[in-house]
This record gives sequence, C-alpha cells and structure tokens, in this order.
Amino acid sequence: MTMLVRTSLWCAGLALAVAIVAYPLYANGYYLALGISVLYFTILATAWAMFSGPTRYISLATVAFFGLGAYTAAVLGETTPWPVVLLAAAGVGAVTAAITGLSTLRLSGIYFVIFSFGLAELIRQLVIWYEVNIHKSVGRYLFSAVTQDILYWQLLGLTALVFLVGWLLGRSRYGLALRAIGADETAASHSGIDATRVKLGVFILSATFMAMTGAVMAPRWTYIDPAIAFNPTISFQVVIMALLGGAGSLFGPVLGVIPLVLLFEVLTATLPNHFSIVLGIIFVLIVMVLPNGVIGLFGAGRRHVPAGAPAAAFARTMDDAPLLAVEGVSKSFSGLRAVDGVSFTVAPGEIIGIIGPNGSGKTTLLNTLSGALRPSSGTIRFGGTVLTGLRAHQIARLGLARTFQLVRVMPDLTVAENVATARLFSAPASSSGSDTTGRELLDLVGLGAMHDAPARELTYIDQKRLELARALALRPHLMLLDEWLAGLNPSELETGIALIAKLRERGLTIIMVEHVMDAIRALCGHCIVMNAGSVIARGAPDEVLSDPKVVAAYLGGDDA
Amino acid sequence: MLLVDIILPGLVLGGMYALIALGLTLQYGVARIMNLSYGESLVAAAFGALSLYSGLGLSPLVALLLAVPVAMMLNWLLYRFLLERLMRRGKDRGAQEIDSILVTFGVLFVIQGAMLVAFGGQYYSYSYLSIPLTILGSTLAVNRLVALLFAALVGGAVYLALTRTRIGTAVRAIAVDATAARLVGIDVAALSGLAFAFGGGLVAVGGVLVSMFLTFNAAMGVVFTMKALVVVIMGGVGNVMGALVAGLLLGVVETAVARLVDPGLTLAATYALFLGVLLIKPTGLFGRAAS
Repeated sequence: MTMLVRTSLWCAGLALAVAIVAYPLYANGYYLALGISVLYFTILATAWAMFSGPTRYISLATVAFFGLGAYTAAVLGETTPWPVVLLAAAGVGAVTAAITGLSTLRLSGIYFVIFSFGLAELIRQLVIWYEVNIHKSVGRYLFSAVTQDILYWQLLGLTALVFLVGWLLGRSRYGLALRAIGADETAASHSGIDATRVKLGVFILSATFMAMTGAVMAPRWTYIDPAIAFNPTISFQVVIMALLGGAGSLFGPVLGVIPLVLLFEVLTATLPNHFSIVLGIIFVLIVMVLPNGVIGLFGAGRRHVPAGAPAAAFARTMDDAPLLAVEGVSKSFSGLRAVDGVSFTVAPGEIIGIIGPNGSGKTTLLNTLSGALRPSSGTIRFGGTVLTGLRAHQIARLGLARTFQLVRVMPDLTVAENVATARLFSAPASSSGSDTTGRELLDLVGLGAMHDAPARELTYIDQKRLELARALALRPHLMLLDEWLAGLNPSELETGIALIAKLRERGLTIIMVEHVMDAIRALCGHCIVMNAGSVIARGAPDEVLSDPKVVAAYLGGDDA
Repeated sequence: MLLVDIILPGLVLGGMYALIALGLTLQYGVARIMNLSYGESLVAAAFGALSLYSGLGLSPLVALLLAVPVAMMLNWLLYRFLLERLMRRGKDRGAQEIDSILVTFGVLFVIQGAMLVAFGGQYYSYSYLSIPLTILGSTLAVNRLVALLFAALVGGAVYLALTRTRIGTAVRAIAVDATAARLVGIDVAALSGLAFAFGGGLVAVGGVLVSMFLTFNAAMGVVFTMKALVVVIMGGVGNVMGALVAGLLLGVVETAVARLVDPGLTLAATYALFLGVLLIKPTGLFGRAAS
C-alpha cells in the first residue's frame, strides 16, 4: 500500500518535472512569457530568502544586483561568449555585495534596511553618471540570438541550482549559524560563530544569484537603460512574494511567487492604472494577516540539525602554568573608568570568585575577557595566546566560554539547536577521552527531557541551564559565569552549586561573578573583591569577607 | 565668492532637508514606526497645496491651516487601525520595526497609486513668492527663505514642546524605553498614536512649503523618504536638534559636491556621508552611546 503510494508520488513528481522542462515545447508566446516570469521571480525570491529569511535583515536591494547583472550582459553580451558573460555577471554581483556587505552588515538591522533601500538608487545614479560621462549615451542595444525557449531553459537551470545551493546551505553548519545569528547575534558570537563572515558569505551568495538572473534576463529586452534594469518595483515584488510564501523555509518563497505573478499579470491586463494601489493593499494584507507566510499555515517543517564534530571531554588537560593571566586591564567609557588596572591569574582547575557591590566593574571585566569589549589598556593571556584585540568568536573558539548576566538563549531555535550552535565552528577535540554529546550535556544540566522544545518556551531557570550547556558545548578550558546563580530559589541554588562543583571535578576552570556568598564560600578557593573598578582585596573567601575594606565597600564605611 | 555661493544655498537647501525630516523624527524616534510611505505623504501634501492654489487661489501659507489637521487625522487613523496592531504583535523592537517597515511599504504604493490616478506621472509646479533676493552677492528666492524660516520656527517649537512640557517629557520617555514608560503610568499606545499623528502634521508642513519652490511629480516620494531617513539617522534617532544640524550639514555637502565635483554625484555624496557617520558614530552625530 505505502509502496503503491510512494510509487505514484514518484511518478507524479517525475511527470511534473517533465512537464516543467518541456514547457516551451507546448506553451505559446504568452504562456511562455508567464513561465519566464514565474521562474525569474522564483530565483530572486529564493535567493532573497536565503539571506533575509534566517537573519531577518530585510534587504530592499534585490534590483541593485539584478540590474548590475543585466548591465554586465548588455556591455559584454555582443563581444564575449555567453558562459563568460554569466560568470562576469556573477563576479560583478559578488564583488559589489562584498563591498557593500562589508560596510553595512556591521550595522544593526534597521540601518541595513535603509541602506539597502537606497543602494539600488545609488548604483543606478553611478551607472547613469558613467554612461553619460564615459560611454556618452544612456541606453544600450543588445542583439542576441537567445530565443525565449533558451532563456526559459537557462532560468530553469538557475532555479534548480538555487534550490540545490539553498538545500545544501540549510543542511550545512552555515545554515544553523545563520539562524543563530538571526535569533541572537551576541550569543552566536560567544558560541564561536564569526557573525560578520557568515552573514557576508551568504549575502554574497544571494547577490550572485540575483546578478546571474539579471544577466540571463537581459536579452529579453533589446534596449536597456538604467530605468529598466534598476526598476525598484522588482525589489518590492520580490519581498512581497517571499513574505507571502514564507521566507523562513527554502520552498516557502515559490508558494508566494506563483499566485502573485499570476495576479500581477491579471492586474496589468485589467487595471493598469490602479496596479500600484492594489499591489499596496495586497502587501498590507499579507503583513497584517499572514506574518509567517503561506507555509506558516502548515506549521514549520522539521529542520536538520548538523551533527557536531565527535566530541571529547569538554576540558582538556593543561600543565601548571596559569591558564589566564590578566595584567593591568582597564576599560574606560568616555572618562568613566569602569575597570581600573585589574591584575590576577587563574591556575588550571580552580574556581575564582569575583565579588563586589553593584556597579564595581565585575561584568565589564568579564566582557573584556570574553571579547565583548576591547580593554582600553592592559593585556590578557589565555594559555599561550594574547586575547587582547581578538573578537568574541575567536576567543570562544580558543576555549573561553561564558554565560550572560541577563540570560541569552536563541529563542526561535530548539534546545538541541542552541547547544549545536556552539559546536559549529569550535576546534575539533582530540580523539581520546570520554565523549560528551549535546544530549549528554543537556542531561548534565538537567534538560534532557526538553531536547526538542523551542528555547522560548523554557522557564527562566531552564534558560540559564540551557545557556550553561551551550557554553559547555564549546569544550572550554575556562568558563565565565556571570551571576549564574542569581534568581534561583533555595533548592535550585543547592542543585546549581552541586552542578558547578561537578564541572570542577571534570577539570573545568571557572571564574564566577556572584552575589550569593554561600556559593562563593562553598566553591571558590580564591576570591577577588572589586570596588569602583579596582581590586580592593584578594584571598580565601572567609578572609576577604571579614576584611574591613570589603565590609565598608558593601555597607558603606566611615568614609562613605 | 565661491564659498558664499556654496554655504548660503547649502544652508537653504539644508533647511528644507531639516524641515522634511522633522516629522520622521517624531514618527520613528518616538512612535517607533519607520514610515517608508513618508515621502509619498509629503508629495500628497504638495499636491494638496497645488490644488488649493490653482483651484481656489489659496496661498500655501493659508493652506497649511487646512493641510495640517487633515494630515494629522489621516496619520492617526493609520496608526490606530494598522500600526498599533503590529506594535502589540511584535515580540521585540526589532520585530516591530520590520513589520512597520513592511506595512508602510504597502501604504507607499497605495498613496503613490492614488496620486498617479489623480495627477498622472507628469511634473507640476506653481509660482509663489519666487522673487529673487541678493544676499552677499548670492541670489536666493524668497520662497526658499520663507521655508527656511518655517523650518527653524517649527523645529524650535517642537524642541520646546518635547523638552518643556509634561506630554513632551512623556513622549521622550517612550522614545527611550516604551516598557519602562508603561510602568510609570504613561499611556504608551495613546501617546505613540499622538506622536505619529503629530509627525504626520509636520510632514504636511514640509510638503506644503516644499511645493512653493520645487517641481514635483507623483513618483518622487522615495527621494524625500531617503533624504529624511539620512537626516534622522545622522542626527540621532528622536533628536530634534540633531536632525536640524544634520539637515543643514547635508545641504551644504550636497551643494559643495554639485558645485565643485559633479552634480550627478550628489546622491553618491549623500550616501557616503551617511555611511561615514554610521560607521564612525552609529547612533548619529548627537545620539546616545550604544547600549
């Protein structure tokens, strides 16, 4: 029975594929043109969603790359073999995306939208300026032997390629990395993901497809000028189509492309003057009524979680030299010295506590260690490496993990995916030693049963556990815990303290910022007390807690 | 006198940019709506002034009295029936911003389409107070100076309203942190709607004044939106004084590039300036430090 169903599904799929490939053989001019429109919008919308779907960087620059591709074809088309033209278009798209991406992807989301909104206009102005001043004519004629049939098949090939690349990307570690960045870019960086590079790479990939589509489409017009090639409506249509279908999945956009291409066709034929009014109303309705797109109505498909590299125990043995050496580290914020000349060392296997009143610079100090902030002066050595000047993801990959004072999980990802993000780019562990898989780490922190739950559904304490499991998945030598025990009730606190003690037994070195003095007494061999950015006392917990200077810092002394 | 030839017209142009950006400062900075249909609303106001002038012979300065309340009403309805829903639905500020961008994107097409149906694609202009005036050997039109004066007056009034009144203070509190504002008893939804409507009123002021001296058509709203966005972001989101200074700066830079380099590259200069500011000081010239 199932065999029969499967066979008939395969047959239907095959028949559909044959029908699509052979389409130009039986479709006449009008329907062929419609097929071409469906295909080219499918490529553009899929390529758009490849980048903008997971990262939620809404790009309004589709036509910038499409137009560059078309122009490349117009300039080179008559003198150069066609495959070379396509490669050149891809190259122009990729280089432009690299340059604009390098400068704009560092900006936070909203600035990116605005810049992409103007990028097409900017490129159009530059092309006009070039054509008027250098080429001495605004338009170009393009005569080529490409028939509609050949154009259709080229687009079909490109469509197959964009789906193949999108599918491979989704399965690769870059797919999960991109979604992690979309969910929480800071947490992703501290899990060893080079956010800038991943975003840039996928942005370039997406732009390359857009530019190639432009080149393939160029022969459809025999005359090209910047107003045709850089028509901003194309960017707008691509965004609506992808959103209608659902930008969060590979096959979502095409579900938006087909109905909208047909609708636009009907609209231009029947209501040419009111086209943009209807377009606008449809757009508003889609955003208001279908925020997750058509595909969202069927529920999100199952996602593939890439398996991490085979993992060894998360702590590797080190010799007796200090694991971390902090020398004279300071951090100023326009005149305010939040951290002022702090020095200390941490030996392998010990737990160091950092305590002090609120605002004394503890979290700022951790931020300089983990690369979230760059110290204004001083050096930090970790193992043999100088950390000063390295970026967060590089430090994470070296085996320095952290949790955040205000818990940061990636809410849209499942518990298992959250842990998997930390395994994507961290250095493969040595083959010896006991393995800790993601599942074992979740068991260790007590989240084993929540494996497939979306992280947003976890309680606060479970989100803290998840954050710890994700940090452990980096196989760190050193773990920074920023008030990990804060907000726990007495029995949770007991479990939490036992968990940290267990991590130490496994050989993990820990720096913990904490206000829970019972935990400090129970766990730390050595303590550093900070006040107003400086270290005012150090030593065993009981010693420093009875130090008059420390008492004064907490309670306000005679001089306060 | 090349320097005067650049600085004076530059300041006048910049005054216009500051004027068209004021409304967006309120709409984006306070109501948290990145309104992409901003430029279309501005052009619609310009068409309104044109119709009143050529149809009834009404001076644009009188037309303001009609245009501002109408625009405030329409913008308030837009906020109340579309945008407020998105504000409630969005999980965080990022999601709210993206949703509002997308919806106003749709609104852009609706307004633009309506104007195309009513007025077609051709360019319009009318002549009002276009009397040449020579200052320091540089010739300027009176209507542009009137617009500059209005920009300064309206900007100053908005600045005082935001910093010296109770409602203004509440509105600034929302701009900084809407959740915290709610906790201290500020009616965020009502005041955001008010700020959005007020921003819409300022758009109408900009549109009516600009129509006195610019040639415009139904399709050029995007240009105004871009200029306003650049000015608002350069000045620091929600910062009225920043928007004024950024507008003037942009006007001078554009005039300088047009006079000294190539008029075709003014837009490129705009973006270069914009990107430069963002990369060096991402919160704008007068913005707070990033959190």
